[in-house]
Amino acid sequence: MIKRIGIVLAVVALATALIAIGCGRKSANKNADGKEDGATKPLYASKGDEGTITGKVSFDGVAPAPKKIDMSQDANCAGAPGDKNADDLVVADGKLANVFVYLKGGVVDQKSFPTPSEPVTLDQQGCRYHPRVMGIQTNQTLKVTNSDNTTHNIHPSPKSNQEWNKQQSQGAPPIENKFARAETLVPVKCNLHPWMKANIGVLAHPYFAVTGKDGSYTIKNVPPGNYTLVFWHEVKGEQTQAVTIAAKESKTQDITYKAGATARATSLEIGPALILP
Amino acid sequence: MIDQRDTPVNARPNIGLHRLAIVLSFMTIVLLGAGALVTSNEAGDSVPDWPFSFGRWLISSNHFVANVRFEYSHRVIAGVVGLTTLLLAVWAQLTERRAWLRKLGWIAFAGVVAQAGIGGVRVLFPEYKALIAVPHALVAQSFFAVVVAIVVFTSRSWSWEHQAKPDSPKMPLRKLVAATVGAVLIQLVLGAGFRHQAFGIIPHIVGALAVTLLIVSTVIAVMRRHGDHDYLARPAKTVLVLLVAQLCLGVAAYIARLASASDPQPLEPMISLTVAHLVVGGLTLATIVVLALRCFQLLSQVREESGDPVGAPSLNSSARGAAV
Repeated sequence: MIKRIGIVLAVVALATALIAIGCGRKSANKNADGKEDGATKPLYASKGDEGTITGKVSFDGVAPAPKKIDMSQDANCAGAPGDKNADDLVVADGKLANVFVYLKGGVVDQKSFPTPSEPVTLDQQGCRYHPRVMGIQTNQTLKVTNSDNTTHNIHPSPKSNQEWNKQQSQGAPPIENKFARAETLVPVKCNLHPWMKANIGVLAHPYFAVTGKDGSYTIKNVPPGNYTLVFWHEVKGEQTQAVTIAAKESKTQDITYKAGATARATSLEIGPALILP
Repeated sequence: MIDQRDTPVNARPNIGLHRLAIVLSFMTIVLLGAGALVTSNEAGDSVPDWPFSFGRWLISSNHFVANVRFEYSHRVIAGVVGLTTLLLAVWAQLTERRAWLRKLGWIAFAGVVAQAGIGGVRVLFPEYKALIAVPHALVAQSFFAVVVAIVVFTSRSWSWEHQAKPDSPKMPLRKLVAATVGAVLIQLVLGAGFRHQAFGIIPHIVGALAVTLLIVSTVIAVMRRHGDHDYLARPAKTVLVLLVAQLCLGVAAYIARLASASDPQPLEPMISLTVAHLVVGGLTLATIVVLALRCFQLLSQVREESGDPVGAPSLNSSARGAAV
């Protein structure tokens, strides 16, 4: 019996080590075909006939009152100025903020686009992420700053990119990182302060936007063609629209989210069916 | 606890080792609760390095805030449990006459070391957290079961001469209670899998039904056949009470989890209910382990054709003469 217990413990430890180490870390910069994102696609050459997509995202119904965040477990957070309400569903005057809007299909998936040299900044202020929802291009630098008088950790949990988890004390220099593969969207969390959540849309092209407090968005310099316009909200889920952009066309694409719909798992769906590497 | 029909055969049980094992079992319950607090507060990745914490063994008060309090406390308690387990293994090595019990002490120590390693892998490879958390929970509960077994083996009652009782040849209680121990352990792992989102709630619900059926069957069998013998009846009654409490806590924890799905952070009562559910699960395992060991000690196999006992219980004979 004692030998059996020993064998079971040894097998469990070995299996754990194999799962963790043997599986290896995810390839950081290759897509499902084993090729780097955008590496084999021809570079998009502008003809000067690009169009613009603008629109507003409305919210139909009464938005639930925002829930209060309990920051009492860290005095630096509780004492920091700023809103202490949850910002996962921000509705003002019937308009929905923090909707990530992006194009897929057509030219934007067939061509490659240059990576911007300027970084995109994600700041931690008042023990909140600013912005809550943001977009970035593949291999563009993400700069994470800490404006708070407390320690945070920045922990993106991507499915396709490399997961990382770094601590950032008050006054520490910015943390810089990149996402090599397109992924919509990467959840980011501070494990010290579990209410701190952000979402980063990583795309191989620059045709994305995030709605402001007035629900409006603008995607500029869109190459003419047929696309799917995707609207993503972390609570209300995803909606799509087919859109065709003619040369130098400015198009308005509005959409409405209904108050009852939710993307959150409920009841028996609260956990995934089974996740294996 | 001791039945009047039983008599002492060893005047010198290993009291010191027994007391240390009891202390270790209580510390392990605290450790299980601390681990549950880490999970329920989503604090598992709040200290991103291991074995150090923010590059140090002892962190500053500036770092000991928010979720770090749960994760770092879990690490410290685990360290204390590890050292206590080492002390127990050494103590058993020096004072215990039973070679298999000395080995069990070292197995417990190997388990706590393996558990620390698995916890470290969990921190360093966050992308596999769901998969790693399951063996982490399995080893935690298995370690607790081993410590409880050491408490039983070093107890005064274990070294007494008990009247051997025949086990039923049709549905042997020893097999039934052994299956129940296995089912409870598997159920605790399924619960961990659900909490860590390795899989959904369905396996845990199915496991709860199976465990309920097995525990109720075991308790009925014990009470019908040996209800007059406190040595078996008492843990059987206790495990039934724990089962009822555990089922209530499980339902309450799940409802609280559903109700808190839109909360910006883990909040009460979900945290306390989940932690209590895990701790009572551990206590249920401990009690069923006690019952199983006593059944194996007391009940002898019976030849189906004759109804005669087959030899003496194996553990009882070696249980005597504990202390050197």
